[in-house]
Amino acid sequence: MLFAPPDVPASEIFARLGEMLTDPYDLEVIGRTVGLALAVTIICVVLGFPIAYWLARSPSRWSGVFLAVAIFPLMLSNVVRTFGWLVILGSKGALGQLLVQLGIVDVAPQLLYTKLAIVLGLTQLFLPLAIISCYSAVAQVDPGLDDASRGLGASRIRTMWNVVIPLTMPGIVVAATLVFAGSVTAYTTPYLLGGSSQRMLSTQLFNYASTTVDWASASATALIMTVLVFLVSGLSSLIGRKGATS
Amino acid sequence: MKRPITAALAVIGYVIMIVPIIFVVATAFTAGSTLRFPPDGISLRWFDEALGYEPFIEAAISSLQLAMLATVLALLVGVPATLAVHRGKLPGKGLVEGLFLSPLIVPELVVGLALFQQLMIGMDLGNFSTLLVGHTALMLPYAVRVTGASLALADPGLEEAARGLGASPLRAFFTVTLPVLRPGIFSAGLLSVVTSFNNVPLSLLLQGRDFRTLPVTMLDYVQQSYDPMVAAASTLILAATVVIAVIAERTVGFAKIFGGINQ
Repeated sequence: MLFAPPDVPASEIFARLGEMLTDPYDLEVIGRTVGLALAVTIICVVLGFPIAYWLARSPSRWSGVFLAVAIFPLMLSNVVRTFGWLVILGSKGALGQLLVQLGIVDVAPQLLYTKLAIVLGLTQLFLPLAIISCYSAVAQVDPGLDDASRGLGASRIRTMWNVVIPLTMPGIVVAATLVFAGSVTAYTTPYLLGGSSQRMLSTQLFNYASTTVDWASASATALIMTVLVFLVSGLSSLIGRKGATS
Repeated sequence: MKRPITAALAVIGYVIMIVPIIFVVATAFTAGSTLRFPPDGISLRWFDEALGYEPFIEAAISSLQLAMLATVLALLVGVPATLAVHRGKLPGKGLVEGLFLSPLIVPELVVGLALFQQLMIGMDLGNFSTLLVGHTALMLPYAVRVTGASLALADPGLEEAARGLGASPLRAFFTVTLPVLRPGIFSAGLLSVVTSFNNVPLSLLLQGRDFRTLPVTMLDYVQQSYDPMVAAASTLILAATVVIAVIAERTVGFAKIFGGINQ
């Protein structure tokens, strides 16, 4: 195994892997990683697709500006983007203060180092990717098809479900895969917004590798992460191929 | 509003993408010493602090060196490889393409761990060399994809015409093919420098006392002290990124740069 040190035999890593898959704490970390990544994937597709559809179809000249605004964050450092949530969600942060000011709560609630914080941070990170993938898919669909469907009496929602979404499915699958794989492997966001109370596989891996210097555990965690990512990208290319032949 | 649901979802999406960035900038100009909102007064003191903070400056220079070198190396390997894949009749073309495009979906933290074990421990390579190998490998897909996208648009007939008119293969490449590729190479380079400069997961395990990158140094700083200096540093990075984005938009266009990645 490439990511294991030469003096740690594969048998030790697999033994550690076996322990992890039965240990409640490790299982919680794996479950949290998959669960949060799934949540972020769904949110990014649900928010990203309508934005992409609107950007691709709007005749407004502002849509170019909004497309640039959606893509720009991809070039911006993850540390910079995630840091903003510390200011918003921190103990003296804007959101807590706002809730107190509005009289909704008496004391600012703990928002940082929660699952919510991680989901918000990862959504911010990967929404642009979802938008771009959906955008190129929507842009390839002839707008005339929407008009035809509407002209034949289908409602806007029905046109969306029966015409636009099936035709753009390959792009949506790519978007979901990129967001899921990105969320499983992201480090900066779970590190800054989840801390040690909401460990994900990535922060756990770094902890094993640098703090406890437990190479067998680090390698086993790396193995789980890699399998997860390959499983999902394999699944998505399978769906993509099936979609192409049907 | 004709599409109330679409509009609501779009507003939520843009708020999540953009509002945190606005808060970073607002916090950078505070006169106070905490990440409190609203900020206590306005001042530039945290910009002074950030620009005078030795570890940040050193790390920024290190990151820039690494990003530039990795980009040059990635282009030197990636552009000829793309040419070979697109124009040549290589056996196993699909495999080569898959190999070059794979790192985008490979967990970078795991790649970092592998490089740490194999190169730093196994081959006793230094921090910088190991980071350079990792970053170059990570930037290759950008070079291959973006160059490939602009090559696909170029007419192979032009090169053949040049050859037919008596130009040597080398001359045909430099006078016909390269000018066609230039925007693609430029945008690949730009994107690659920015991506390498910002990388955390790959660099994380490969840091050393003698060579640290800026994003990792900033992460360490945030963990230790909770003051607005990182907001000021972030605002400076944001400003630099905006400048690069404007250059990218003016010369090749955003859609082309990022369109190349997601095809």
